[in-house]
Amino acid sequence: MKEKTNKKEAPSAAVESGTDKTAETAVASAKDNPAKPEAVKEEMIHLIVFKLGAEEYGIKIDQVKEVTVTPNVTRMPRTPDFIKGVANIRGDIIAIMDLEERFGIRPVPLAGDLNPHITYTLVIEAKEYSIGVIVREVPQSLNLSMTKIDKTPSFLQDINIHENYIEGIAKVNNRLIIVLDMYKILTQDEIRELKSN
Amino acid sequence: MKSREQEYKEIFIAEALEYFDALNRLISELEKRPQDDQVLAEIFRMLHNLKANAKAIGYLQISDVSHKLETAFGLIRNKELSFSDEVVGVLFDGIDLLGELIKSIDSERQVEVDPVLIRNLDIIVDSLSDSTVELAKVQKFSTSRNLTLSDLIYIQVKKLDHLMNLVGELIIDRDRILSLSRELDSDELKTVGSHLYRITEDLQYSVMDARLVSIGTLFNKFPRVVRDIATAEKKEIDLELSGQDIQIDRNILQIMTDSLLHLVRNAITHGIEKPEQRVRADKTKAGLLQLSARSDRESVVITLTDDGKGIDIGKVKKAAVAQQLVPADVAENLPDSEVYSFLFEPGFSLAKEVTEFSGRGVGLDVVKNAIDSIGGRIRIESEKGKGTSFILQLPTSIAVKGALLFEIDSIFYAIPLIHTDSVVALDKDELHEVGEVLVADIKGETVTVVYLDELLNVEESQMRLGDKTRLKGQVQNIIIVSYNNRKLGLIVDKLYRQQDIVVKPLSKPLDSIDLYGGVTLLGTGKVCLVLDVPAITRYFVNRR
Repeated sequence: MKEKTNKKEAPSAAVESGTDKTAETAVASAKDNPAKPEAVKEEMIHLIVFKLGAEEYGIKIDQVKEVTVTPNVTRMPRTPDFIKGVANIRGDIIAIMDLEERFGIRPVPLAGDLNPHITYTLVIEAKEYSIGVIVREVPQSLNLSMTKIDKTPSFLQDINIHENYIEGIAKVNNRLIIVLDMYKILTQDEIRELKSN
Repeated sequence: MKSREQEYKEIFIAEALEYFDALNRLISELEKRPQDDQVLAEIFRMLHNLKANAKAIGYLQISDVSHKLETAFGLIRNKELSFSDEVVGVLFDGIDLLGELIKSIDSERQVEVDPVLIRNLDIIVDSLSDSTVELAKVQKFSTSRNLTLSDLIYIQVKKLDHLMNLVGELIIDRDRILSLSRELDSDELKTVGSHLYRITEDLQYSVMDARLVSIGTLFNKFPRVVRDIATAEKKEIDLELSGQDIQIDRNILQIMTDSLLHLVRNAITHGIEKPEQRVRADKTKAGLLQLSARSDRESVVITLTDDGKGIDIGKVKKAAVAQQLVPADVAENLPDSEVYSFLFEPGFSLAKEVTEFSGRGVGLDVVKNAIDSIGGRIRIESEKGKGTSFILQLPTSIAVKGALLFEIDSIFYAIPLIHTDSVVALDKDELHEVGEVLVADIKGETVTVVYLDELLNVEESQMRLGDKTRLKGQVQNIIIVSYNNRKLGLIVDKLYRQQDIVVKPLSKPLDSIDLYGGVTLLGTGKVCLVLDVPAITRYFVNRR
């Protein structure tokens, strides 16, 4: 029992420490633009940031219902590989997805101090359903100004038009964060693919 | 349990009191705005309904008074009677009388209808503009006004659905607590657990009971429907209904509505012959259509029987061969029950002409899908020249089902009992490799057997369903399931108990995976996948 409570606290603590960091970031970004005093009031965006492969990805916080240590996942035979199965999260049975497999992202070895047996699940609330997304490192919380997000980077034209789940690219302190639109993460085609199985 | 009549009476009273309240409100409004046609129309409609309802259930006094009031308001609406003070007084009195009559239904006290009031009502209705006749003063029979609220409430089915889901969650947690109390071996927890068990069980049945409606609510729509179709088809049909009092979950009945309509259409257009043909075949001129319902343990069986020409097995076989559903030589020796199952294949049709009511390509497969979706079963019995029966076995409740639990490759699965025929343990040597499948002799019947682990977990290109070496162990546990009149044996790794489970539908986007009918949580907190037998059967057939 005790162990479980600890596990549950772990990610939220991590998110909190993340918030501290972002507060700094926000202050830093305000300092960067001393010419604009109204910058404090400018539109902010709050992201949950996690790693897939070697890159950082972000999801808007209002699309994330909760972050938890991945519970027991029951495999569902004859579903696409990126569906890891279903899990019971607070009485809701939701699908757990591996975005690295979904996007064909090459996984990278974990940093040495991380326990490979513990992963985290972001519970995403999409329009019609909730879905769990597995990540291997504790997700972080990040506040940044909307202006930091490049909504239409030119490279988007180079990738397949159907892969429009990328909402934009955020650039903060030399970090590049790919902002995902979770509502588009499962396209109609894939839902159909689920069906044919 | 209350008698049906008592329940009808209560419903009538509650509705009537609602009408009474509304009438009081409306007539007060009308007094202020006598020109408001909408209010008038509403009053008229309510009195009309009240009259009809009262008459149907046999409260003639109420229907009589409603009738008189309705006439009076009809005159006011047609501007033949003015809504003057005198008239208003009489109308208020009349409505008060209605209220008294309605309230008296459930009490010992008989209400004496004041003849003066009735006379007054007659006067305003009959004398029209002739106002010479005096309206007599009415002795108020009731001076004390009691404010009462109705004993019945309307509730959205959605709310009941929500309640049912919550009960489902509660049952899952209850099972978890029970299994914990055994694990911890705590007597106190066990006592609380068993109390909780009784309460939740009671709660579950109460909520299920609240969702029940009598099948009559659907059956009683059919006399008119049958008449219309029969007229269009120039046929004579006698419809016999029975078992209208049988109760079933409202949502199940809702899902079955279209299917039943479809089957009835089919029976009239394709089953029952034209009058002249019937006479030639030595049958009564009018065809007989019987729609009946009965309870059978945990399910409700609806049977639709016609005394028409029956299904021509030969024709079905021919059509099945022509549509390449089965090779001709195999079709020859198929048992009748399997031949009938072709009728449920998508696109399968024997109809030569399209009529207004059936034969437009929407086939029995739609009916079958609807029944599958609620976990029911359908079967056909037919005799050439004598008639056809469709037998629908439906669960009484959607959420809670008896199921058989088992394990394959360390994952828990359940199959609803409605689809299981029997469970057998066979030695590996009793399974035979025939073609690309395994078969076994089960109680004299040759049944195809499939190793579920192979079917579910081996990559599709590597799958070898006819290879005995893939089996683990010597003795094989086999669940015989039945779908669409075909039997199929499913080999499982470990067989557990039979248990009532609460099936949670899979949430999006997984709900489109039809291999699984849903999931359930076991007492241990583990997720258990509920296999959909129709889908498993289809998947197996398509693999082969």
